Amino acid sequence: MLEIVKPGLETSIQDYPGRIGFWNQGFPPSGPMDSWSFRLANLLVGNAAGAPGLEAQYMGPTIKLQGDSVIAVTGADMKPTLDGEPMAIWQSVAVKAGQTLVLGPARLGARGYLAVAGGIDAPQWLGSASTFHKASVGGLDGHASQAGQLLPVRAAQGTPGRRVKAGRQPAIAADRKWLVEAVPGPNDDWIDAAGHERFLATEWKLEARSDRTGYRLEGPDWTFTEKATDKPPENGSDASNIVDQGYPLGAINLCGQKPIILVHDGPSMGGFICPYTVPSAAFWKLGQSKPNDHYRFKSISVDEAQALARTLDEICSDDSIE
Amino acid sequence: MIFDEPIFKPGGDRFIEMELGDEMSFELNFLVHSVSGLIRESRTKGIVEIVPELASIMISYDCEAIAYADVVTEMSALFHAVGPLDGLELDSRMFYLPVYYFDPWTRACYEDYCEKIAKKEWGPEILVRSNGLSGLEQLAQVHSGTDYWVAALGFYPGLVSLMPLDPRCRLTAPKYNPPRTWTYKGTIGVGGALCSIYPDQTPGGYQMIARTPVPIWDPAQRLPAFKESLALFRPGDRVRFVPATREEYDYVERKVEAGVYLHNVAEYQRFSIRNYQAWLATIDASDRF
Repeated sequence: MLEIVKPGLETSIQDYPGRIGFWNQGFPPSGPMDSWSFRLANLLVGNAAGAPGLEAQYMGPTIKLQGDSVIAVTGADMKPTLDGEPMAIWQSVAVKAGQTLVLGPARLGARGYLAVAGGIDAPQWLGSASTFHKASVGGLDGHASQAGQLLPVRAAQGTPGRRVKAGRQPAIAADRKWLVEAVPGPNDDWIDAAGHERFLATEWKLEARSDRTGYRLEGPDWTFTEKATDKPPENGSDASNIVDQGYPLGAINLCGQKPIILVHDGPSMGGFICPYTVPSAAFWKLGQSKPNDHYRFKSISVDEAQALARTLDEICSDDSIE
Repeated sequence: MIFDEPIFKPGGDRFIEMELGDEMSFELNFLVHSVSGLIRESRTKGIVEIVPELASIMISYDCEAIAYADVVTEMSALFHAVGPLDGLELDSRMFYLPVYYFDPWTRACYEDYCEKIAKKEWGPEILVRSNGLSGLEQLAQVHSGTDYWVAALGFYPGLVSLMPLDPRCRLTAPKYNPPRTWTYKGTIGVGGALCSIYPDQTPGGYQMIARTPVPIWDPAQRLPAFKESLALFRPGDRVRFVPATREEYDYVERKVEAGVYLHNVAEYQRFSIRNYQAWLATIDASDRF
């Protein structure tokens, strides 16, 4: 059992790949925003890469360990301590019943991950333990962790002292400037050449009003092709309006002039165009960025995006652990 | 228009948008669900999720099992296998929902918006004015005078987009700008040319005209209608709103709260585009009820 003493800003149970198969009813996948760090945390403690663990956003939780176990902390550097002593991250650590783990504010990155040997024993809801707070489903009770809550853990043995090999962990941008891949489409032909050029040349700022639903970006206005300005009226009156369509996960959704990247708890559909889509291999960069971080986007092809996903899956394997 | 050939566009490394047209029409949406049904039945290896919307189908796929170009080839073939639109038929369940028009709750929600966000005209009055109706009595008659087609699900779990099937009952309304921060669960709203039912207390932008005590989604799966699925509706179902008094509303609400409410649904019907179009030819769309 893990006893939540202080919940931190938003600490939630997630699993990977999340709730797949219900997008047509409006259920997003949820799951960890940085699945690279999340999967490595699980592998360090001997779990399957997708086992339920904790995601802590910006400010980590304080947890009292109710039993002897092996844990690992990865992702953002929240300077964890065990009974006040600094604890190494990106490696598995033996812990004793009664010890207190404190994760502080994220010094580098935005989201820290905690895996415990055996995984958190949360009920499967539509095939996943991932918390989707907006609809109050998943996790233990549909919400982020609360003070006093007890998180059950499945019995399992872990091996302390396992580490992530050099070069196999995500390089979180210390200067808070990120180069994020983006694949043109599905609605790239609604944006004119100048608009595409501007999108790729701009350093976009991540706004404070960003969460697991969407990431709002601050930057210049967009310009459109005739497809956006000369269309049947039922598409809507704004250039960015389209007859309601499904939204890909990672879509850069243009709401009027405001780009919003739709992330793991985002809407499944709506009436705005998506000129670009951030591919799955770059989601971790979104997960590790904080408000006021800056993004430059790099246009890549579908083939390149799939090659990146393949490479990331290879990295998120036992080969990366020593 | 409805395209002769679907247009395929990528959405990152795992999604494809398959566009069948660029209009909002019942016929195009019927085609969307006919094609989606064939895609589902085909069990094409590597296809993970199928999300039919108003004019397009979003498909997610596992690129280790099927390449982008092969998804396009396979989906094109299924599109052509559907055949001409006027020969299409789909099973279509019919749901009857009691609704209380111009109820006190949606009125209170509107007043809360006026007080806290922006003063605006009351939704039912906007609908009466912008659709050339004589008053609230006619609005309720027109709104409840048609079957609605469940054209799409999504945005929020269980949320439905409904299209009126009788052209005499088409209503249009502008959306709230800025949107409401909250809406009562069970609110019936009209926005653009669509109607919707709010599955839960959520933000919203449609003009509110009524409320139903009948739940349309339930994560706890308490009532029998939710045994198979958390969402009451599937695309291709139809809905009929049955005007109810306050007393009837309260009666149904008590049954829902006691966990003994039986959703009123007829499951024996099949929808034929040919029959529908033949019926359309016999009516004068400009005649309001």
